[in-house]
Amino acid sequence: MNMTYETLLLLSPELGSEGSKEVLDTLAGIIDRDGGQILKNDDWGIKELAYPVKKQTRGHYVRLEYSLPPDKVSELERNIRNADGIYKFLTVKLEQKTEAKED
Amino acid sequence: MVFRKFAPRKKFCRFCANKDIELDYKNVDLLKDFITDRGKIIARRITGTCAKHQRQLTGEIKKSRQMSLLIYTATHSTHVHKRTV
Repeated sequence: MNMTYETLLLLSPELGSEGSKEVLDTLAGIIDRDGGQILKNDDWGIKELAYPVKKQTRGHYVRLEYSLPPDKVSELERNIRNADGIYKFLTVKLEQKTEAKED
Repeated sequence: MVFRKFAPRKKFCRFCANKDIELDYKNVDLLKDFITDRGKIIARRITGTCAKHQRQLTGEIKKSRQMSLLIYTATHSTHVHKRTV
């Protein structure tokens, strides 16, 4: 049974469109491999941060909405931690369940 | 009564009154109404939010802070450093 999650990523602004796309593709690959599915990919663009993070005052926010088996979330988060250019991330479980996807 | 010059307007919980308001850490503009200029969460005594929604609100503000969408404090250490140097 897959649950819907949402992860907000704060990427380094220095990554550029190429680099950030690469990071997101790897994450998408991991979600796919673990039997999940990306539902939404919401790019907020480069925004001013409330406080400096790693001496940067701007950051690139990307919100991912996906379904994933609950035990695979920690695996995804581990990969996020290892990835370069991701300053911060926050995973939140969303209310509704996804009935559509069966494994 | 003598010591009570005016009756304060009855406060109400904004989230109970309007169920459409989505309490979410991404909704920064909304959360900004419930923190002070210095970034402190305003007590529900002041805002009139009900206990249930204040609990949710607090959680969302803290999530928002983690993601650098809201400030923890108006004077983050690096700012202070910049000013003194």
